[in-house]
Amino acid sequence: MTTKRGLITDTFKVVKKPKRVGKREKRPPSPPSKETKGETDREKELQALQKLRQFDLDWKFGPCTGISRLQRWERAQLHGLDPPEEIRDLLLLHAHTHPEYNQCLWSEYPL
Amino acid sequence: MFSELSAQREASSLLCRPASEDQGPVFDRVLQAYTPCSERFKLGERSFSRQYAHIYAARLMQMRPLLTERAQQKWGVNVRIRKLCDLQTGEQCCIVGTLFKHMELQPSILKEISEEHNLLPQPARARYISDADELILEDELQRIKLEGKIDKDKCVTGSVIAIYGAEKNDGKFTVEEFCTADLPLQTPRPSLSSDKFVLLASGLGLGSSHADSMLGLQLLVDMITGQLGDQGEQSGAASISRVLLAGNLLSQSTQNKEDSTKAKYLTKKTQAGSVEAIRLLDELLLQLVASVPVDVMPGQYDPTNYTLPQQPLHRCMFPLCSVYPTLQLVSNPYQANIDGVKFLGTSGQNVSDIQKYSSVDSHLDILENTLRLRHLAPTAPDTLGCYPFYQKDPFVLEECPHVYFSGNAPSFDCKSDSITKSLTEVLLVTVPEFSSTQMACLVNLRTLECEPVTFSAFSADDDDESEMNISH
Repeated sequence: MTTKRGLITDTFKVVKKPKRVGKREKRPPSPPSKETKGETDREKELQALQKLRQFDLDWKFGPCTGISRLQRWERAQLHGLDPPEEIRDLLLLHAHTHPEYNQCLWSEYPL
Repeated sequence: MFSELSAQREASSLLCRPASEDQGPVFDRVLQAYTPCSERFKLGERSFSRQYAHIYAARLMQMRPLLTERAQQKWGVNVRIRKLCDLQTGEQCCIVGTLFKHMELQPSILKEISEEHNLLPQPARARYISDADELILEDELQRIKLEGKIDKDKCVTGSVIAIYGAEKNDGKFTVEEFCTADLPLQTPRPSLSSDKFVLLASGLGLGSSHADSMLGLQLLVDMITGQLGDQGEQSGAASISRVLLAGNLLSQSTQNKEDSTKAKYLTKKTQAGSVEAIRLLDELLLQLVASVPVDVMPGQYDPTNYTLPQQPLHRCMFPLCSVYPTLQLVSNPYQANIDGVKFLGTSGQNVSDIQKYSSVDSHLDILENTLRLRHLAPTAPDTLGCYPFYQKDPFVLEECPHVYFSGNAPSFDCKSDSITKSLTEVLLVTVPEFSSTQMACLVNLRTLECEPVTFSAFSADDDDESEMNISH
């Protein structure tokens, strides 16, 4: 008797199949586009973010939580600690477009 | 001095006929050049999301170059100045850092919460120092316990100093000598041709339950506005070019702490005690501002923000006198340039807080210490409320004032010549609380001398009162 309920399993299969097809369709186009636009761009971005994180961790410029990276850079400049110019350039370049550049490493953790 | 100035004239004009039928002589009040310099104590944005680590970091950043220079002056140019992380045991060297005093008795909210199960609340104390206190020096990364020739009872948390000595095997640093940043540079003041006075008063204590000080206060106002005494005294009063009220214009009793915890419906029809007191203050100020420029600083009990720097009282609280351009509502701490004489001071919170956390008793000594530390309020933000600055610590003194005052002291005290080694001349004044001492003080801008003025004719003196009772 139970075996005759195959109809239900059939319906499940029917429902599932289109989804899988859809996922497969979505996946393939995305990676090639990034590859074509250039792996180098993304690497640069990662490098830049890595530099900013290193700046966050440099204790000479004081604590980094609660203020933006640019504010911290400006404070270091004000007190004559010679923060790297490169950092400010990076910050000014990306500040408006990418919020992740603005805030320090620990910004997602609540105080 | 002011008293001589008033007494010089023949004191007979009260006991003789009026010179003529029409109005008596008019004494024009002396004018002065005034520039407020309190911008650094004004808050633009108010963000309380930051931690206080920034203010300590900024303070150390600002003070390190000053102290390095001072250490080289004191212990020779070749003195080894180390960071704590480079410190080697047994090596004689100098370290610049922020002091932290670990105090068992210091009230702590965490302690209260953790111990509330089995302990009674700590009694309120006048002092929080004890023999078990420990001094610790912190730099950007590390901290080290201090011992040796440094008096822990005189030091307070938050002072930036340079110490000289060596680390011993037990990990403690033995201090041989230490130095502070000492007085900043001073711009010389121009010499004045005539005597001009600035009157300092604090702690008017309006709205208190006993109105003892009201007579004295009215006498003070009348003296300044030239409605007291004979012509000599009136012409003396004309040389008071400015009045500076250094905080606590309202009494502590206007702040009813219970009201804020009571249910709303219980306090619905009641009026806050400060409303009536502010109205009284408005009327009092009206008499003053009509005749003389007045600077009004807020204090601990006044209706403005609690944390330092306190922002000026709002104009709309003074409907009568806010129309006068002579009324200046200023911040606490206050800084201004009056006829080339630089004034800097507070309403006294910084000094009374240090008094609680050190063994120094005299307000004047504490005031001098803060000047030598080159910091207005070292205990902020530890035990004194303070805005979380991050860019710069505005309480670090960049320039030496000519008059450095603090308000609401228990007694009047001043000191000028003993701290001047070089060309720097500073007058230190502790402005007494008017409501308890009936005393204000006058600073002579020409000579930088200070003199108290007392109005305690009937109030405080018990002997006088008893004599009067007998005579009745």
